[in-house]
Amino acid sequence: MTSVVSPEWVLKVNQLGKIFGNLSENGLALTGPEIGSSKDPATGAIVAAWDVSFEVAAGEALGVVGESGSGKSTVMRCIAGDQSSSAGSVQIRTSPDEQIDVLSLTPSERRQLRIDKIAVVYQDPAEGLDLNVTAGGNIASPLTAAGWRNFSSIRSRASELLLRTEVPLNRMDDVVKSFSGGMKQRVQLAKALANRPPIVLLDEPTTGLDASVAAGVLDLIRGLLEEFGLAAVVVSHDFSVIEMLTNRCIVLNHGRVVESALTDQLLEDPHHPYSQKLVSAARA
Amino acid sequence: MNNAEHVVLDVRNLRKHFVLHTIDSRIVEALNGVSLKVSAGEHVALAGTSGAGKSSLLKSIYRTYKPSSGAVFLKLDDDSFVDLVSLTDSELATLRGTQIGYVSQFLRAQPRRSTFEIVTKAGIQRGMDSDTAKQAAAYSLQRLNLDEALWDVSASMLSGGEKQRVNLAAGTISPPRLLLLDEPVSALDPLNRESALELIGTLTDQGVAVLAVFHDMDAMERLASRVIVLRNGVVDYEGSPMETLARLEGVAR
Repeated sequence: MTSVVSPEWVLKVNQLGKIFGNLSENGLALTGPEIGSSKDPATGAIVAAWDVSFEVAAGEALGVVGESGSGKSTVMRCIAGDQSSSAGSVQIRTSPDEQIDVLSLTPSERRQLRIDKIAVVYQDPAEGLDLNVTAGGNIASPLTAAGWRNFSSIRSRASELLLRTEVPLNRMDDVVKSFSGGMKQRVQLAKALANRPPIVLLDEPTTGLDASVAAGVLDLIRGLLEEFGLAAVVVSHDFSVIEMLTNRCIVLNHGRVVESALTDQLLEDPHHPYSQKLVSAARA
Repeated sequence: MNNAEHVVLDVRNLRKHFVLHTIDSRIVEALNGVSLKVSAGEHVALAGTSGAGKSSLLKSIYRTYKPSSGAVFLKLDDDSFVDLVSLTDSELATLRGTQIGYVSQFLRAQPRRSTFEIVTKAGIQRGMDSDTAKQAAAYSLQRLNLDEALWDVSASMLSGGEKQRVNLAAGTISPPRLLLLDEPVSALDPLNRESALELIGTLTDQGVAVLAVFHDMDAMERLASRVIVLRNGVVDYEGSPMETLARLEGVAR
C-alpha cells in the first residue's frame, strides 16, 4: 500500500495561530466555531486564526474559503510576513537541501523571501503596487531588489512579463493609477512573477472586478499557475473562483479549520454544518 | 471472468450517509453496505430504480462523496492494492488523474477553455508529454465525431451532446485502469451514441475495468459482462445481462 506517492510539499503551514490582544486562560475554549465567536468574552481578545495546518506542493493550488472575518486573510498575511503570528510554524522547501523556517527569520530575511520565494497578489492593487509609479517601474523594483542592475535587461524582462500578463506594452511607462482595475491586477501578477517565485499567495484576486474582466484575470491566473508549476494558495469567498483554480480546499470558520476536502467533494458533499451552509448559499 | 487475480476494483461494505445540518440534521442513507468486484477487461453495469444508489456508488468510489465507512481497493501498476477511502486528499488527487476515468452526464465543462485543451490536459495528467497528448486528443475527438471546427471553441458553448463527447474523450484519452461511467451516452443522438458505445467496448477489450450506469437496457445488454442490481443502497442481485434484464423488465411490466 505504499506505492501511492504524495507530492512533496513546497509550503507547509503547521498549527498557525494569530491572536489580537491578551487571551484569557480559557480563551481558546471560549472561542471557535462551536461557540460561534472568535472574541474571548473575558478579555475581548480576538482569535483571528488558530491551529491552521496545510501543505501545498508544486503545481498545486489550495483554496481557503470562509465568510469575511473567518480568518482567511489573516492566515495569508501571516504566511506572507505582513503580520506576525502568535503560534505555529510556516516552512518552505524549494529544493531537497533548502528548507526555510519562515517565522524565525529576521525582518530583513523576510523581505528577501518576498523578493524571490513567496509572491502575494492582493485584492487591492494599492497593497501590491506603487500606484504613482509606472508599470515598468513597479516590475523593476523586485528585479533590482534581486540584484538586477542592467537597465536594458530589466526593461526587456519587464516587457516580457507584461506581454505574458496581457498588458499592452505601450502602457509600460504610464503610472499604474491611470490603469483600469483589471489592468492593475495584471500588473500585480507581472510584478509577483518577476523573479519566478515557487510560491504565490492570491488574496481575492478578482473580487471587485466586473464579471467579464474578472473572467479574463482568472483565466490568466489559471494559465500562469499551470505554466510555472506554482504552489498556490487562493483565498476567496467565491466558489466559482475556488472551483476553477484549486483541487483541494480548507474551510475556515471563526479562525479554525472546520473542514478540509477535495474541491469537488466540498461542493457536492460538504460535511461540516458551516460548510453546508456556505455551499448551499453559493449554489442556491 | 471474475478471476480473482485480475480484480482491479474491490468494494467492500461501502456505506454513505449524508447528515443534512441545514435541515434539522436529517440523515439520508444512500449506500447501506455495498460490496462488489470488477476485474480488468470486465464491464459491470449497475441497474436499479432511481434512488437505488447507482450514482452515489460511483461518486463514493471516485470520492466526490466521502464514504462513511467501508473500503474501496484499487489495484495499482505494481499489483498492490490501495484503499481509496483512506488516502489523503492529495494522494487521491494524483491517483484520479493517472488511474481513474470518470465520465458523468453532469460533469461541468471548465469555463472558457477550449475543447482541445480540456482533452489534451487530461492526457498530460495521465503522464503523456505535451505532443503525445495533443495527438491523442485529436484522435479521441475524431473517434467521437466531434467536428474539428469545434475544437478551439470553449466547451461551455457546446450543446449537451457535444459536451458529453468532450467529457468522454477526456476520460478515455489513454485507457485508465478503472473507468466509471454515469449515463455517458444519455444526451447523444443515435449515431454518436453508437460511436461512444463502440469506444467503451474497445476500452473494455483493452483491459480497462468498467463500472457503468446506463439509462437504456439496450446499451447494458450490448456492453455489460455482468449486471448488478441495486436496491435501497445495497446489492439486490446480480447475474448475466440476459437474466437480470429479463427480471428487471418483468418488474417493469
